[in-house]
Amino acid sequence: MNDQQSTSAAGSRAAAGRRDTRNTGPGRLLIAVYAVFAISASARAGYQILTKFSEAPLAYLLSAFAALVYVVATVSLAKAGSTWFKVSVAAVLVELVGVLVVGALSVFDPVAFPHETVWSLFGRGYGFIPLLLPVLGLVWLYRRRPGQGNGTVKGAP
Amino acid sequence: MDAYFYIILVVGLLSTVTCVVAGILKKAPNDVTILSVAAVELALVVYLVGSIVRVIAGEPIAGEAWEFWGYLATAMLLPPAAVYWSILERTRWSNFVLAAVGVTALVMAARMNQIWY
Repeated sequence: MNDQQSTSAAGSRAAAGRRDTRNTGPGRLLIAVYAVFAISASARAGYQILTKFSEAPLAYLLSAFAALVYVVATVSLAKAGSTWFKVSVAAVLVELVGVLVVGALSVFDPVAFPHETVWSLFGRGYGFIPLLLPVLGLVWLYRRRPGQGNGTVKGAP
Repeated sequence: MDAYFYIILVVGLLSTVTCVVAGILKKAPNDVTILSVAAVELALVVYLVGSIVRVIAGEPIAGEAWEFWGYLATAMLLPPAAVYWSILERTRWSNFVLAAVGVTALVMAARMNQIWY
């Protein structure tokens, strides 16, 4: 059960002492950026749905979904424990798939996706940060996977 | 783009650069980086006061008024939140969190200008 512990490559990071948290160091920056996206995406989706939902229901529902994913990612990254780790992985993977699929769809079908979701055109309206964020998120989650420290849960891939 | 935007552009970029450099130099948040973020908040307060004066003077907001004020209120919450967080964990990474405030305020100010005009 603990056989990984001694061979863990985490050495310099002193990961053992805070093995099940992802909210320190670089993780803090990640959470901060996620929080900004959670707030802005929620506000934007709320505004779109309240004022002009009938114009493009699909795109605005997608906006709301994206906002929800960012909220879940922000909260789960800030929480300790292996359950929240799994929630984080799920949220970040959904985000990655979302930005890729919606990004591609918005290029090929600009009518259904009038470039007004966070993920449209691979997040170009937001400096491509929506595309970059899930990748950095996965890297961070991999480096802080629970199995590294206490051996209770096997890490992602 | 009006003067308020350019004030935030300059102050925000200076703050971001300051905090990024401090982070790269592996410094913990210090007076310089925290004050640079406080300057961003001050610039936003100037924007707030200026906007209130303009509205009272009768200048109309072209876009949705509540959207404008929503952006401004949210932007004003960011510096205190980032500073609070940087005090909780005093590592170089908190400087990068502080750095995010300047650019975010800048983007939000640009959007606020679009709504206003």
